[in-house]
Amino acid sequence: MSGTANNYAVEARDLTRRFGNFTAVDRITIAVRRGEVFGFLGANGAGKTTAIRMFCGLLKPTSGEGRVAGLDIMRESEKIKRRIGYMSQKFSLYDDLKVKENLHFFGGVYGLPDGELQTRLKESLARFNLESVEHEMTERLPPGWKQRLALGCALMHDPEIIFLDEPTGGVDPVARRHFWDIIHGLAAAGKTVFVTTHYMDEAEYCDRISIMHRGRLIALDTPANLKKKMQKATVQDLFVDLIRSEDTA
Amino acid sequence: MLKHLLIKEFKQVFRQREMVAIIFLVPVIQLLILGYAINLDVKHVRLGIFDEDRTALSRRIVDTFDASGYFDLVPTENENSASLLDAGQADIVLKIPRDFERDIGRGKAAELAVITDAQNSNTAGIAAAYTQELLRNFWEGEVNRKLRAQPALRNRLHRLALRSQAYYNPELVSVYYMVPGIVVILLTVMTTLLTALGIVREKEIGTLEQLMVTPISKFHFIAGKTVPFIIIAFIELAVALLVGTLWFGIPFRGSLWLLAGTASLFLLTTLGVGLFISTISNTQQQALFFAWFFMVFGMLMSGFFTPIENMPQAFQFLTYLNPLRYFMVIIRAVFLKDSSAGDLSGEIFALALFGIVIFSLALLRFRKRIA
Amino acid sequence: MRLWAIIKKEFFHILRDPRSLGIIVLMPLLMVLIFGYAINLNLKNIPIAVVDNDHSADSRRLIHAFSRSGYFEVRAYPANAADFEALFRAGKIKGGLTIPRGFATSIVTQLETPVQIIVDGSDGNVGQTILQYSEAILMDFSARITPQQMQMPIEMRPRFWYNETLQSANFIVPGLVAVILMMISALLTSITIAREKETGTLEQLLAAPVHPVEIIVGKVVPYIALALLDGLIIIGAGLLIFDVPFRGSAVVLLMGTLIYLYPCLALGLLISTLSRTQQVAMMQALIITILPSVMLSGFIFPIASMPKLHQFISSVIPATYYLRIIRGVLLKGADAASLAPQALGLLVLGTVLLGLAVKQFKVKID
Repeated sequence: MSGTANNYAVEARDLTRRFGNFTAVDRITIAVRRGEVFGFLGANGAGKTTAIRMFCGLLKPTSGEGRVAGLDIMRESEKIKRRIGYMSQKFSLYDDLKVKENLHFFGGVYGLPDGELQTRLKESLARFNLESVEHEMTERLPPGWKQRLALGCALMHDPEIIFLDEPTGGVDPVARRHFWDIIHGLAAAGKTVFVTTHYMDEAEYCDRISIMHRGRLIALDTPANLKKKMQKATVQDLFVDLIRSEDTA
Repeated sequence: MLKHLLIKEFKQVFRQREMVAIIFLVPVIQLLILGYAINLDVKHVRLGIFDEDRTALSRRIVDTFDASGYFDLVPTENENSASLLDAGQADIVLKIPRDFERDIGRGKAAELAVITDAQNSNTAGIAAAYTQELLRNFWEGEVNRKLRAQPALRNRLHRLALRSQAYYNPELVSVYYMVPGIVVILLTVMTTLLTALGIVREKEIGTLEQLMVTPISKFHFIAGKTVPFIIIAFIELAVALLVGTLWFGIPFRGSLWLLAGTASLFLLTTLGVGLFISTISNTQQQALFFAWFFMVFGMLMSGFFTPIENMPQAFQFLTYLNPLRYFMVIIRAVFLKDSSAGDLSGEIFALALFGIVIFSLALLRFRKRIA
Repeated sequence: MRLWAIIKKEFFHILRDPRSLGIIVLMPLLMVLIFGYAINLNLKNIPIAVVDNDHSADSRRLIHAFSRSGYFEVRAYPANAADFEALFRAGKIKGGLTIPRGFATSIVTQLETPVQIIVDGSDGNVGQTILQYSEAILMDFSARITPQQMQMPIEMRPRFWYNETLQSANFIVPGLVAVILMMISALLTSITIAREKETGTLEQLLAAPVHPVEIIVGKVVPYIALALLDGLIIIGAGLLIFDVPFRGSAVVLLMGTLIYLYPCLALGLLISTLSRTQQVAMMQALIITILPSVMLSGFIFPIASMPKLHQFISSVIPATYYLRIIRGVLLKGADAASLAPQALGLLVLGTVLLGLAVKQFKVKID
């Protein structure tokens, strides 16, 4: 994993996490290239969130190894945190702060100097279409707006790798579409986007997808290749098929 | 980075009008109300006297009790002692037996029955002691009558007289010692609970997870969560000092610096407990329970309500684990006695030790990871 | 049926959080054990210092009377009374006794012999009590130096009803029931509703075809059960460990307890309607329940000695009434009729609090 490390934004080999007797993530091995939009698919409880939390340094792996931005997730999780952005399932924002204040706060805790903080703040408000609500209390925003704000907060420090855990949960289709435009914009700017979802239609927007089931990785390729291999028209169909064959095996 | 944490925390506190009221207004109101005359004094004890003798002598006993000021006499016609006490109309009943005057006149010992409602063992004991004291006062009056008749007796009569004096608070005004004690309790409630709830709330809404993926250090995070409450606590302490000295007229004789220094140590302990509670709770409800237990324990075992010396030995040891115990002593001593840091070295050392231990425990348990 | 669904849901909330459940059950037990033993209002072993300027057999007899009483423990014999000051400042003693030079002669020649007690007024409750107990010791001593024919021929036969041996625990343990029930009921209901508000589930419940009253009753019933369980634990511990008597009827106590829970729960509801977040609800509930119900309810401090304003405040605290009920039933064996005024007080309080809560709730909806 050393020589080629720089070509990969996220790598894992036999990464495993157990909670007591329950194995949430079972020896997964992946390598995500820089600039890639990498989809992490699976039903609820498949282990996606646990995996993503290990990459972000929120959970220690039980065994196996992993690197994010070329840094070891076991020993260098604090260094990793400066280079990644993370948006958790719940769009965790401070409801009792204003929109602008949330952005300002998260930029601040990433240590942006004041001048840069102001510029980034203006950029983010414009980029995520939040200028009209900048002085609103966050709790009053509709879900789609909260989602954009959460992404804005996660991107304040301009991270090279972005982890998005179920970023479109509870958001209407138009807002979802708009959100994916933003994701592709990020990829075009050279960012790596690691995104989990259980909306199969969203998988079509990813460069490559991996499918998790009961903690294990059961498929990994481009959506087109997977559909060809399984002879299915949509990712939805191949997903259902895969899961069914896994469960009967 | 710390700056941003602090700004955020202050905004969150000050935007909630209810919170501002709870933090700044309610303590002052409580201080104003509870500071007054809440004490263990036994006054207005309701006394029922059954005078079955109805003589000049027995009347003088009744008059002694009536004039004492301790007792409020209740009517006893158509009642008996059981009905008075059972119905809660009297706290104490005194029975003067028939032939009381005649027996005393013959130099025979007369017995008075005194029945006390002893549900409250403390007030019952004190009320019974008052009764005894008044009987002696009455008898002194009788002796003085005898002395007027037979002055020669004077040389043979001797007694001890109590000359009492109270240092630091000559009139034993209760606000002098209650107000500083209430300040300690209010500071504990505010700092422990706000710290514990603040962190657990972020756990519940998920922002803690969001913060954990940022590069802020554990120390910055904890400082961000405690410094605002240290500042708030000092503002409250200052307000309480002003209310105490200006409104209640309590003399402040000691060193402000010593009080500020020891208050910092005390806050280290209460904030440490708050932090520790946040590391063992997943929900605000759990945090509240732990905090509540700590506060009730701290309050009742601090010597504020009852002297620690009254407790059985094993429980006195338990009070050594109570930071309120130490600060209760310190704040009263600095306020009224002008005690020096040297005088209070034991308490100061204990607070520092407790603070360091609980803070370290909380820090050890606090991880920038989940689970 | 719908009501039952809500009750069940609320029970699951409680049972599935073993930590909270553990605390709810164990904490009262722990509290009754600690405070039953520790809160003792009867003066004992108070540290004092003695300056004996006489050094006679009589002065030693007086000192002995102090130390033998059990109320005092002589910790120091400084050379003169000026040294008390340093001992007070360091918190080593709470009182100082000074016996004058010539004490032995004076008590056989003079009418009055002064004995000085100095107390530390910074802890005035103790100071006051020291003076009372000292007075009693001096009177005893005086009686022994009074010639036979002038001794008081009146013998006082004190009897203590309801608590014959003057056990503090008999007074404190029932008080703990009142305080802990208050906490469980008022505190828990206030935060459980605030929590549903915060997480948005209250909206969901209100959208369901459930009457708001059902929601509230459903949420409250499990806490009534918990509160009763706690009451049982505390009273059980009191009876078994502290020998607190149970002279009255269990039915009367149960009735009284249920009536007590009414204003407590109503208070919790009122707080919850006043708070948007759990945090605010908790702070309000805590501040309302912790200090006033401990200090103004008669739990420790006698109400009769309070100023009029405070007596009024104590009359709007539910614990005040319940304390009379539970102490009445346990210690006095009081019957339902004699406790009716207290129950009435609780009902009135509960109805007023509930009315305020409902009014507040309507304001929010409109």
